[in-house]
Amino acid sequence: MKNRQKLRPWIYSLPALTLVGLIVVFPILYTGYISLTNMNLYHWDNYELIGLDNFQRALLKVDSGFLKALLTTVLWTVFNMVIQVVLAFFIALGLNVREMKLARVYKTLLMFPWAMPAYVSILLWRVGMFNTEFGFLNKILLSLGLGKMNFLSENVPAFLSCMVLNLWMALPFMIMMMDGALQSVDRSYYESARLDGAGFWKQCRYITVPAIRPILLPSVIMTTFTTFKQFDIVYLLTMQKGSLSGATLQTIITYAHQNAFVSNNYGLSSAVSIVIFGFIIVFSLFTNRGVKEEG
Amino acid sequence: MKKIKRMAGLTVLNLIFIIICLLALIPILYAVSLSFCNGGSGLSSDLSFWPKDPTWKNYSAILVEEPFLLWLKNSAILSVGTMIAAMGTAVTAAYAFSRYRFKGRNGVLQALLILNAFPQILSMFAIFRLFKTFHLLNSYLGLIIVYAGSMCIFSIWNMKGYFDTIPVEIEEAARIDGAGSGQILMKVVLPLARPAIIVTSVMVLIFVWNEYLFSTTFMMNEGSYTLAAGLYQLQTSDYSRSWPLFSAAAILVSIPILIVFFCIQKYMVSGLTAGGVKG
Repeated sequence: MKNRQKLRPWIYSLPALTLVGLIVVFPILYTGYISLTNMNLYHWDNYELIGLDNFQRALLKVDSGFLKALLTTVLWTVFNMVIQVVLAFFIALGLNVREMKLARVYKTLLMFPWAMPAYVSILLWRVGMFNTEFGFLNKILLSLGLGKMNFLSENVPAFLSCMVLNLWMALPFMIMMMDGALQSVDRSYYESARLDGAGFWKQCRYITVPAIRPILLPSVIMTTFTTFKQFDIVYLLTMQKGSLSGATLQTIITYAHQNAFVSNNYGLSSAVSIVIFGFIIVFSLFTNRGVKEEG
Repeated sequence: MKKIKRMAGLTVLNLIFIIICLLALIPILYAVSLSFCNGGSGLSSDLSFWPKDPTWKNYSAILVEEPFLLWLKNSAILSVGTMIAAMGTAVTAAYAFSRYRFKGRNGVLQALLILNAFPQILSMFAIFRLFKTFHLLNSYLGLIIVYAGSMCIFSIWNMKGYFDTIPVEIEEAARIDGAGSGQILMKVVLPLARPAIIVTSVMVLIFVWNEYLFSTTFMMNEGSYTLAAGLYQLQTSDYSRSWPLFSAAAILVSIPILIVFFCIQKYMVSGLTAGGVKG
């Protein structure tokens, strides 16, 4: 009886753990194995173990492109997160001004970009906004008397275009989280601060930010992860099969994907995947500890 | 004087918010307007949002000429299949992790959290190769187990959070009344957790509905395209002619998601944060 009691949680979780083990854990291990081989299109079956060569190629050779992709990804994550948090903070502050009667309406409207299926949004932006023929942005440029512009053909404009789209897609979530956090701040703090003569910026700095920081930390960390892992935007905007836009922008995830499914460097791609997984493990251990200490 | 200043400030603030909302909605509204366009008029260069002679033509074309209903059927099969597989395995596991304290519990939960952070694209090639060996490419079953694997982790965390909030006393009362463990789970816990189960299931459905990468990579014949794969293919082929058609299809795909999203939006926020990061 005692033994059965001990086994019960394992019996309950066995189907789930089997499923996860087979379809999530095993492919990761297999990726690890592939990363040690020279598997590519020509060595589909007769590949051999080559040790850590792929890792060396990715990490130490500058021309492999991985380090550049890594730099792009870091810049991408930092820019997006900073802009997102700052903008969301001020928008949420605006929504919480007491006399704003329409705040609920604005909130509902602002939620639309979040509710849309992500890939649909991205394709709609590609077709409707950035399109060189009749995209909305080009229509604006034309009506202002400027020439048409191909937003996605070069790296810097493409990076900025992807960033605008990412902000459009991600801001609603951040705004709602900020809004929720702001509503939990006790109004009486502000009143006493005002009596003490603190202005808007002082109130922000000494009351609002410290009060919402611990509440927001989990969602900011989560969004940092999703931004870091962002694949769809860069892929669907600039590097769709058969309709490359001209920009050669790569994040580490698109780099891994491209090496696996376009240039068929399976070994290298797997090595990159393992490196990225390593980053993610380190990040999440680090942030988990941070969150616990904070809370 | 102070009142006037306050009013002016409020008006400016409202104006700013109207602009922000417009920025948020313009891409969607533009797509809606495009979807009612008649042929080439979308290509005109004026900034008007009202198409010159609005028509339902694109919507009827999408439903009749394109295999939209077939895509819908495929998406439905995959979504429901994934939901059954993921929820069926996750519910009992979530319950076990919430209620029992056993050796290895924390380790497994931490491992699941890290696996949840792992982007599945990175092991996509390994899965592809394995599936090729086991003839699971181009099959619903293959795609369903891929989706179910990642959604299972998410569902365990999401529902564990909810089970934690159900007081143990209720179960103890049932046990005193002579109910066995299985009975307690089926007759007491699951009915209590119904809202969480429904919300999690809906999130699984949305995930599958919105997934395009695996479905375009693993389903290679046109008969098994999902809505996502179909849409994807609509915007790559048939260059300029199909933009209005594509917009119409995009709107059709989004509407059910928008409706569901606004119904469960309240739970979405709490579920995401509870399931996402809580250590």
